[in-house]
Amino acid sequence: MSASIEYYCPCLAESPHPPPPHLASSSYSFHPLHNLYFCEECDAVRCNRCVLMEVSGYFCPNCLFEVPSASVRAEKNRCARNCFNCPICRNTLSVVASDPEAGDGRMSPVVSTTLGEPPFFLFCNNCRWDSAEIGITFEKPTGLAAQLQKFEDSAPEALEFEHLKEHFEPYLRASSSALPATAAHSHHHVNPITAAASSALARDVPGVGKYNPLSRSRVGRDKNAGKQEIPDYKSRVEIGTLGALGAGGGNSDVEFMRRLEDMSEVAKLEQRWVNSWTASLRSSDLKPLRIPLQVKKSKRCPACRHILIKPEQKSQSVRYKIKLVAANYLPAIHVSLPHAIAAMELMKRSSTLNKSLSSTVDDPSVSGLIPGKTYAFHLAFTNPLYDPIQVRLKKVQPVPVPSADADPEKARRVPFQVSLPTAAFGIAAFAEAWEYEDEEDMFGQDDDDLDMDGHGMATKDGRGKTRAVGVVERRANTTVVSGEVIITKEARGNIRFNMLVSYTYRSDDAEPAEENEDGTPSRSHAVNKAPEMKNFSFYTVVDLGAVVRREGSRSELES
Amino acid sequence: MNTPVYYQRGEYIETDTGNKVSRRAAISGPQNIILGGKTIISSNAIIRGDLRRTGPGHAVVISLGRYCLIGEGCILRPPYKTYRGVFNYYPMKIGDNVHIGANTIVEAATIGNYVEIGKNCIIGKFVIIKDCAKIADDTIIPPNTVVPALTLFAGNPGQIVEDLPETTQEMVESQTKQYYTRFQPYPN
Ligand SMILES: [Zn+2]
Ligand SMILES: [Zn+2]
Ligand SMILES: [Zn+2]
Ligand SMILES: [Zn+2]
Repeated sequence: MSASIEYYCPCLAESPHPPPPHLASSSYSFHPLHNLYFCEECDAVRCNRCVLMEVSGYFCPNCLFEVPSASVRAEKNRCARNCFNCPICRNTLSVVASDPEAGDGRMSPVVSTTLGEPPFFLFCNNCRWDSAEIGITFEKPTGLAAQLQKFEDSAPEALEFEHLKEHFEPYLRASSSALPATAAHSHHHVNPITAAASSALARDVPGVGKYNPLSRSRVGRDKNAGKQEIPDYKSRVEIGTLGALGAGGGNSDVEFMRRLEDMSEVAKLEQRWVNSWTASLRSSDLKPLRIPLQVKKSKRCPACRHILIKPEQKSQSVRYKIKLVAANYLPAIHVSLPHAIAAMELMKRSSTLNKSLSSTVDDPSVSGLIPGKTYAFHLAFTNPLYDPIQVRLKKVQPVPVPSADADPEKARRVPFQVSLPTAAFGIAAFAEAWEYEDEEDMFGQDDDDLDMDGHGMATKDGRGKTRAVGVVERRANTTVVSGEVIITKEARGNIRFNMLVSYTYRSDDAEPAEENEDGTPSRSHAVNKAPEMKNFSFYTVVDLGAVVRREGSRSELES
Repeated sequence: MNTPVYYQRGEYIETDTGNKVSRRAAISGPQNIILGGKTIISSNAIIRGDLRRTGPGHAVVISLGRYCLIGEGCILRPPYKTYRGVFNYYPMKIGDNVHIGANTIVEAATIGNYVEIGKNCIIGKFVIIKDCAKIADDTIIPPNTVVPALTLFAGNPGQIVEDLPETTQEMVESQTKQYYTRFQPYPN
C-alpha cells in the first residue's frame, strides 16, 4: 500500500479549500471514501467529525443483550447481567464453581454455571486472576452484577457523584425547559452543566477564562441570565482523608512501596485508569469490572439535521434503515504506481519455486520514489451511479516544503511537479451485471484489449521515457487515467498533493429519491424528461508514497 | 487493485464449486468439512475435520461459506470441552466472505459473515465473532470471548479498539470477491 487517496470533508468550514497536504494536522480533514457520508439535502460530504451522533440503542458487547435505555441509567452504563472484565488484563471473566467436579474450573476454559457447589467466584482464563483471591465470592452463580453494583454504589466516590448530580439536577431541569427548542438542537449547543462547571473553574482557578462559545450566537443571551442562581457545591469528602478510606495516597503508599517484592503487586496506571479520583496502588485492591455497554449510533447532518445513518434496532444486525454514504455518490478513486507493480512482478518472477508466489511483497525500496526521476501514476475512477458521469481533474499546486536549507532560493523550490489530464473524461454507468460475479470472464477480455490497442505498454512498463497523460483504460464502470510526477532532487518525505475532482451527473431533483433494494437511495433513476446536468466537486489528497534516497535503492530498478 | 495474485498451476486443486485447495494443505477428515464454494485453502494450512463429536454417523466438524480465504499456515481446529464429565469436540461454523490471515490459529465456535482476521492471531476455543467484525494482526482472543458486529479487536487479550464504518459489509464483500478473481494460476 504505497500510494493512497483520501477525501476531504470541509466540516462546515467557511472556506471550501482543504488544508495543505504536507501538514500533519491536515490528516484530520481527510478520510477514506468509505468513512464518509453524503447529505442529499445539502449536497455535501459529511464525516464522523462533523455529523451529529445520537444513541439509537445500548447493548452489552459480551452477552449482546439489548439494554432498554430506561435501565441504562440505573445500571450506570454497564452490563447488569453476568458480564465482567478482569481487573488485571481486561479479559472477560468466567463464573466458576468451587468443587472440582464441575469441570476442573481453573483448568478448562469452559465452565457451566448451572452445575457445581458454592461458593462461586470469577475467574480469568487469560491471566488466571480469580476473585476469591481478593475475597469476592458468591452463593449463587446468578445476579452477580447486582451484588457487585451494591459495592460500587456505596463507594465514597459514587456517593459523591450522586450528591453532585442531585445538586445540579434542579438547575439542569429548569434550564433545559427554559431553553428554546431550536437552541437545544443547535450545533453550538452547550450543556448547562458545562457552563456551570466552567464558571466554577473560572472562579476557583486563577487565570482560567470562562468557556463561552455562545458569545456570538443567538442563544447566548438567555443562557447567561440563569448562571449565577446556582449555589456553591460543598464536597462531602475531603480529598486529604481519602487515604483513611482505603483509597491510597500518603504514607501507606510509601510503606507499601518499600516492602514491594514483585512489580505486579502495583496496579498499573492502565488498570487504575477507570477509577475516579485517587485509587489504591495495590493490584490486590482491584475489583472486577462490570462490562461497559456499547451503543449503536444514528447520525445526522450537522447543517440540516436530516438523518444520514439509522441502524436497525437489533444490536448485532449490520443492516441500516437509512444509510447515506459518500461511496454511493462520489466516484471511488484508486491510486497505483505502475513502476512499483512492475517491479513487484519482477521480484515474484525471480522468486524461487519453493517460495509461494502468492506471498505479497511490500518493500519500500521497490515502490519508493527516487529524487530526480519522473514517474507515471494511475488513477482508477469507479462510478457508483446508474448514469455515466464526466470527470475533470485539477491539481492544487504543491506548497514548498519548509526546509532547514539556509539558501532561501533553494528552500522555496517545490519538491515535485504533478501533471494531470486536463481534458474531461467519461466513466460508464454502474450496472449490476458488472459486479464481481462475472469478472472472471472480464479478466480474459481485458488482456486482449490491452494487446490490441497497445495500452499494455503504458500500463506494464512504468519506466519508459515518454508517457501520455490521459485515459489509459476503460472497463465497465471504471476509467483509468494516467498522471505524471517529476520528483526534484530536493524532495523528501511523502509525495502528497491535493486534487480537485469535479464531475457532472444527470440530476433528477424533481423526483423524490427512490430507494433500491438494499435501502440505499440513488439519485440516478431514469426520469422521462430532459436530463438536467449537475456538477459536484470535492477535494482529495493523493499520497504517492515516500521518496527514498538513491543510496538505498535497488540496483535492479535502475538497470 | 486488480493485480493478479498468482499461484503455480497444479499447486491448487479446483473443485466443481470453485473452491481452490492447495495440495500442500493438510485436510484431515475431509468428509466432515464443508466448503461453500469459491473458497481458497492456502498451502500449509491445517484443517482438522477429523476431530469430530463421538458417536455414530456423519457429523459436520468445520463448515466454511463462500469467498473465504484460509491463509498460509493457518490451523482450524474445532473447540472442545468436558461437559458433565464427558470430553467432546464441538463444530466450528464460518460464514461467507471471511478472510483469515497467514499463521493464525482458529478454535472459534462461530464466525459470522464479512469477517476479516489478521495474520498471526490466536482465536481461542468457543469464541464467537459476529458479522463484519475485524481482528487486527497479532491479536490473541481468549476462549469464550464474544466479538460484536462491526467492531475492531486488537491486542492481547483482544479488546474493542473502535467501531468499523457502516460500509464494512460492502467493502469486505467486494474485497473478498475481488481476491478470489485475482487468485489465478501463473500463465506459462
Ligand atoms: Zn466533516
Ligand atoms: Zn452482558
Ligand atoms: Zn485477566
Ligand atoms: Zn444536510
